[in-house]
Amino acid sequence: MAITTRVVDRPVDESSYIRATFQGLALSFKHLVDPHKVTVQYPEEKWDIGPRWRGTHRMLTTEDGTAKCVACGLCPTVCPANCIKLVPGEDAEGNRYPLVFDIDEFRCIFCGYCQEVCPEEAIHLGRHYENAEYERKDFIYDLKRLTSQTHPVCEMWDPADPRGE
Amino acid sequence: MATKRTIEVELSTTGLGADGKPQRIPLVSGDTGGLALQTPPVLEPELEGEHMLINIGPQHPATHGVLRLVLELDGETVVRCIPHIGYLHCGFEKIGEYRQYNQIIPWTDREDYLNCVGNNIAFALGAEQLFGIEITPRCTVLRVIGMELSRIASHLVWMGTTGIDIGAFTPFLWSFQERENIYNLFEGWVGARLTTSASRVGGMAADIPDGWLDGLKAFVRTFPRTLSECDRMLTRNGVWVGRTVGLGVMNPEEALNYGLSGPMLRASGVDYDVRKDFPYLDYETYDFEVPVGVHGDVYDRYLVRMEEMRQSVRIIEQAIARLPDGPVNVDDPRVILPPKHKATSEMESMIHHFKNVMEGPRPPIGESYVAVEAPKGEKGYYMVSDGTAKPVRWRIRPPSFVNLSAIPKMVEGHLLSDVIAINASIDIVMGEIDR
Repeated sequence: MAITTRVVDRPVDESSYIRATFQGLALSFKHLVDPHKVTVQYPEEKWDIGPRWRGTHRMLTTEDGTAKCVACGLCPTVCPANCIKLVPGEDAEGNRYPLVFDIDEFRCIFCGYCQEVCPEEAIHLGRHYENAEYERKDFIYDLKRLTSQTHPVCEMWDPADPRGE
Repeated sequence: MATKRTIEVELSTTGLGADGKPQRIPLVSGDTGGLALQTPPVLEPELEGEHMLINIGPQHPATHGVLRLVLELDGETVVRCIPHIGYLHCGFEKIGEYRQYNQIIPWTDREDYLNCVGNNIAFALGAEQLFGIEITPRCTVLRVIGMELSRIASHLVWMGTTGIDIGAFTPFLWSFQERENIYNLFEGWVGARLTTSASRVGGMAADIPDGWLDGLKAFVRTFPRTLSECDRMLTRNGVWVGRTVGLGVMNPEEALNYGLSGPMLRASGVDYDVRKDFPYLDYETYDFEVPVGVHGDVYDRYLVRMEEMRQSVRIIEQAIARLPDGPVNVDDPRVILPPKHKATSEMESMIHHFKNVMEGPRPPIGESYVAVEAPKGEKGYYMVSDGTAKPVRWRIRPPSFVNLSAIPKMVEGHLLSDVIAINASIDIVMGEIDR
């Protein structure tokens, strides 16, 4: 076990034009008939993204359809890009809930810290990558949009994935 | 001679005069009061003629980013080269002064964006030195795997794009296929391909998922084959040899004086590797070779980088064999968030969770500097803490920046088309240079 130093071979004398051309052509044609295909025919064929993929957000809801968020304020605090706007509210029983919960997906850098710190497992990054919109204002996801989106969510930092917790 | 004077007026930069007031300082050689850059080579009288001033970049694909090279040409020979940088300045270091240590990690993704995991880990190492934390054995080995994978990814991009610059298109496609495999592994590990944010102070963002090592083993098995195919396409190819041999030669003394590091320095024959000379992450217990060149030209840099990729595969193989079980994150609630199921069920963990996020982990007063062997050279992270959750000063020692400073020396006297090859051989990433 040791780290050693070695002078690299320098095969300048063995260089050639014609031989290298034929060698290169042979290698390229071998790849032509090689069935190993790497291209994905994108719009028809979708890329199978991994279960930990960090994409556009979703807010998970309780059984009665309201957001799980309790407006604790951890995600706007930890967000390195300052893209979460949260205004907390309180109902008659003293339960906190978000009056406003906007995520600016333009500013978002998809680091996933919001999901990592959420103590209610409410805000999640989604396994979703086709984010195009027709207008700029549509990239500010409000609470209604965050709760109504249905794509699967990132499994990292969830108790369901103990290795990623 | 009127033309000559025009050039000198053009080649000026803002600076401070002797009285402290801003003024334009001409970038000319000699004792005219300007900044002495370098003496233009003495030309034979019949060749003395009108010099041409051209810009390469900042929007030129062959400058590998938004680098602008101002070249003074005599015919097709470069008389003088002045690199202009700063087009990608983002203020990472200043932003970091307003972020907690873990929040800076996404910024380290974005400086040298070809070596994201390596940067994440290097920053975490610096912060851990500041906090005085010992990371777990499993985390150490996982970090070695992450660093070597991102080294291979960075070198693959270098080989592919340099090949395109010099006229070889096929190795570019093959190297980017292999790079995709590395990014698939990163995606499976931390959920992002490029901006990974893979590390945390005291551990990693997540442990590797089940079955991830099988994918890594498959990569380690298939990658050397692709590498040898690229090697067959390039190494003994007369065109490749003709366009790289004898270009941008730096002898060992010059290389050391310019402060070069990484493959640039090793190609000149100096066997300095941070992994060997100042080991971190238990690199001294791995078995690998540090490749060095002799001539210090573009061809030697290519050979050194190719060999480094092979050695990285060796290191990853050894790391897979020794990967221990156990926790990834340190058991220290002051810096690490508790597991989610504990944070939502135990009072104590919930308090730690909130304190950790709201106030942030607070290191003792002090400073730390950690240098790692990044693909481009010696990359350092320097942090100063005043005891609060945010660093007072955070600084990157970017290897590309220092390596780029040698380009006026290297391209002098070469042809214009060779400037592209020499510039590519430095392996610069402008995100890291401008920061």
